[in-house]
Amino acid sequence: MSTRDLVLIALFTAVIVVLGIIPPITLAFVPVPITAQSMGVMLAGCIIGAKRGALAYLLLILMVAVGLPVLSGGRGGLAILAGPTAGYIAGWVVGTFVTGLIAERIVREGQAGVHQIAGFLLASMIGGIGVVYLMGTIWLARSTGMDFLAALSANAVFLPGDVLKAGIAALAARAVLVGYPLLPQRT
Amino acid sequence: MLKSLHVEGSTPLHKLSVRIKLAGLFVASLAIFFTKSPLLLGGAAALAALVFASVGMAPRDAASRLAWPLVSIALVALATGIFETPLAGLATFLRFATLILLAAAVTASSETGDVMEEVTVLMRPFERLGLVNAADIGLALGLVLRFVPDIALRYESLRESHAARGLPVRPLRMLAPMIILTLKDADMIAMAIDARGLRRQ
Repeated sequence: MSTRDLVLIALFTAVIVVLGIIPPITLAFVPVPITAQSMGVMLAGCIIGAKRGALAYLLLILMVAVGLPVLSGGRGGLAILAGPTAGYIAGWVVGTFVTGLIAERIVREGQAGVHQIAGFLLASMIGGIGVVYLMGTIWLARSTGMDFLAALSANAVFLPGDVLKAGIAALAARAVLVGYPLLPQRT
Repeated sequence: MLKSLHVEGSTPLHKLSVRIKLAGLFVASLAIFFTKSPLLLGGAAALAALVFASVGMAPRDAASRLAWPLVSIALVALATGIFETPLAGLATFLRFATLILLAAAVTASSETGDVMEEVTVLMRPFERLGLVNAADIGLALGLVLRFVPDIALRYESLRESHAARGLPVRPLRMLAPMIILTLKDADMIAMAIDARGLRRQ
């Protein structure tokens, strides 16, 4: 790994930590404020790509494990990793990777803005929502003995908010792509 | 800004080596899945609560640390109780309460640096396989700690410059500039690291 990649990974992890510190985003038409950190998976995948994004999340989880309060609301420590929701945390890593993989394949620098935003939105929905929910639910169902489909349906509560976050992340990722493109491109 | 969750003290748990504590936590996490008996699991949870209390944390601090994990397992246990049997819900709650209390006790009683050292030891087999470089992990971790205050400050100055121009301060609008400004530094930082030879390769 080049030193530049290492630095990009560390800087993005730092950005994710800061997203947990800044005040939650309030949108005029949504009653619940959105914690900016929960968009991290989508942002990391769409902005620095699959491999670096996933490593940024592994670094974040390592910081949680060694007892640093890096998650929103000052959460951290092994207790966060020990709960029934640990599958979602593992899902962050894989979700970022999948988001990045899709974004790297379908988003091109020369494309029209609408195409780029649509590509990022698709990548964020599949990786940041689909993969994270799937991995979270598998562990939730396995560790509690709950029926898989029943556990999966429990995710529905979070779906509208997460779709909205995918939209915001897609817009932000497109703005970064225009200003300072870093996303590797695959064919 | 990023204050470690370690709590100063000299209790027996503080004196125990981090390796033993982590190994104990690992064994406990396997053991609690072997039984379904609420009585046994209840005993385990009570024991875990005693272990956590022995760290000697201020009640308010303890409450703020445990609140989120405990609420989340209560919700999951409730769902299990509804979809499966109430007894299964109770078992789920007691299992994870045990684990969360023990994990919080390990985190509170261990220095971040000591845990990091154990992580490095755990990485050794992977390092031999050429999959990771423990020194790189330490360097990356140091970079994160170094740059979090800078990025937070950058966010603050973006907020102020928006306000100074009479623009509505919308976090959404500041997301992209904050990320661009941060990542633009990567080349310079990478050059500085290489110039100092901080990565021996």
